[in-house]
Amino acid sequence: MKKYNMCMIPARPLENVQLLKDRVIFPYVCYRTFGESLRLVTKCTEDYPYLSYLEGAQLISLPEEQSHMEAAVRYVSEHAGTIDLLFLFGARGEYMELARTYRTLRPDGIIYLKLDANIDWINALPLSHKPFSDFLQNCDIISCEARQIQSLLYKKWRRPIEYIPNGVYYPLYPEAADVCYEEKENIILTVGRLGDIQKNSLLLLYAYALAFPQLKEPWDLVMVGSVTPEFQADYEDFCKRFPPLAPHVRLTGNITDKYTLRQYYRKAKIFALPSRGEGGSPNVFSEAAVYGCTVITTGVDAAPDMTDNGRVGRISPDIEDFDGFAKELAAVCCDPDYLSRNFYEMRTYIKEYFDYEQLAFRLRMLVELQSLKRRQS
Amino acid sequence: MNITITDTFIALYDDNESFPLLEKPVFPHFHQNVTKRPYISSYYAATETIWAHCQAGMELLADYCHDDPHYGCYALLFRRLYPLLLSSSHAKNVVSYGPPADYGVYKVFQNFMSFLQEDNALTALPQSAYAFTTLKDGSCHAFLYCLDAFPSLPAVCDAIGKVRPGGLALLYTIKDPLPAEFNELCAQAETDRFGPCTVYAFTINETLSAFAYENGSEHVILSRAEEVLKRSGDLQNLVHAMLTDMSLPADAYLIAVTILQQTEEILLSLYDYLEDDELPVLANALKECILNYYGGISRQCELTSYKEKLTQSSETFFTAIEREFQ
Repeated sequence: MKKYNMCMIPARPLENVQLLKDRVIFPYVCYRTFGESLRLVTKCTEDYPYLSYLEGAQLISLPEEQSHMEAAVRYVSEHAGTIDLLFLFGARGEYMELARTYRTLRPDGIIYLKLDANIDWINALPLSHKPFSDFLQNCDIISCEARQIQSLLYKKWRRPIEYIPNGVYYPLYPEAADVCYEEKENIILTVGRLGDIQKNSLLLLYAYALAFPQLKEPWDLVMVGSVTPEFQADYEDFCKRFPPLAPHVRLTGNITDKYTLRQYYRKAKIFALPSRGEGGSPNVFSEAAVYGCTVITTGVDAAPDMTDNGRVGRISPDIEDFDGFAKELAAVCCDPDYLSRNFYEMRTYIKEYFDYEQLAFRLRMLVELQSLKRRQS
Repeated sequence: MNITITDTFIALYDDNESFPLLEKPVFPHFHQNVTKRPYISSYYAATETIWAHCQAGMELLADYCHDDPHYGCYALLFRRLYPLLLSSSHAKNVVSYGPPADYGVYKVFQNFMSFLQEDNALTALPQSAYAFTTLKDGSCHAFLYCLDAFPSLPAVCDAIGKVRPGGLALLYTIKDPLPAEFNELCAQAETDRFGPCTVYAFTINETLSAFAYENGSEHVILSRAEEVLKRSGDLQNLVHAMLTDMSLPADAYLIAVTILQQTEEILLSLYDYLEDDELPVLANALKECILNYYGGISRQCELTSYKEKLTQSSETFFTAIEREFQ
């Protein structure tokens, strides 16, 4: 089969942390699976130490004097001949000109758009704006990260939309294979920007308090991530109101060292995701699942996908339902058999359906078929 | 773009170009014609002549719609409608699909039509897939169809089917080029073009009616439903062979995926008529399961779960297809 020269262009300059997230990791795995080359084209705004994880990928630095997207369009107009597969991330208006330029210069090339959208975002897209609808039209393959969104998009856009979730690139987790349930502790873990309105961290804090009296064994709540001043104040208030719980709730602050972070996933039995909304399944979910954490989530768009419709995790549908989330927490904490069984179930499920190598294989087939179609037309 | 109105002439103009819309007719033997062409009597009446109404109507059109990109189209439509409306003293039924019902252009057309004949009717249809279902075939004298509102050949053919023989179907657009599916149809039209505005005028005859029937939604739906069933049958055999571990050629999986992609596209083209609107998603889910299973084989993974999901997904899809089409 053909090997593709690939190019990933973000709508805005790349940040170092994004190099190991879905927008870059998936193109990278595609490159490793069926690529000849991969270029990450961006205006450089910081250092990129994580590039060392992406062996073989080239970072193309766009010139300073133009805006990121103007420079990207120029890059494409000069290099379209050497780009067989163009990766775009997000249904963003910034891409309209870029996609049009590439399509004009490479009618046989393939544009793959990974949507990274939640339902609110989808509903806000300006579909009646001709240049925007042309942009979508120019994309050969569009994927979203949650089945609920896929279903909605079929209704709204009337075109094929693939379901490709945010997954896991196993070589980045070399020690994950050795994890065993026995070394886990009674830890409920959450990872994210604590206090960010989207992350809904307060729900988890108080749901934990509500569940606490029902727990037969002590469980700790570990909250990893940067903390907003508002949430810091909420946390301090929480500790004053519930002194017996205070020693069991820990804010670690932001952890940039991947190894340290993975030790938390390794030790935690439960991963809690109290979010109000996510663009598909968040990267932290995949990481937690690799380490066999049972996931308890609010009804974000990807909740049924993350839990295989409740089989390998629990869903508390209402994002404001403290009692409901507490009930799920208590039920899972009090069921060690489920937790130990689910350790294997979750790991198997994530390996089978969220492994980026498997997802890249699927995309490769879609790209091959689309290429054939383009050549025939 | 503007409309210029004189005592004897109405035209569209833009910069140095113009397009004649209407010319005040001269009747040298007016008294001999009066009994044959009843409208002529009012034409020469001292007050409220047809011509005066035309002039006033065009002024109103400019007031209401000057900033509308379809402004020129409306003027061209009026030009095409004018002879039809004046062709006899019988009441005329004109149907329009495009602008919302309270839009100014309708007031202009309806005023003029009512002046000619009180019972003349102009009906604006809502922009809905079901808009045409309440209309009988051959029930109207003219159909005004905005191609930019819904550029679908089956829908346009349905609209043409609603026009009686000898009546007018007027398609208008400001987009160029039209989708390729319209090429054959529009080749049969008389075309008025000015600036970005184009009106395709069809006088309904047997050839056109036959074309409209062949390409109308009922016929298209039935033939596409047959295509879905045929592909579904082919797929069932392929999926059965996959699930029973029969030896398959290497490209069998890609063939199955190609069939499913085609099925998905046909289902999407029938979307408005489907009872089960999840069918295209189910086709996509089955495609995903086949690719996962194929990926599992290629990557030498444990296949149990992929096989289970493929079994479930195929059962769901084929049952849904059967429920929908058989």
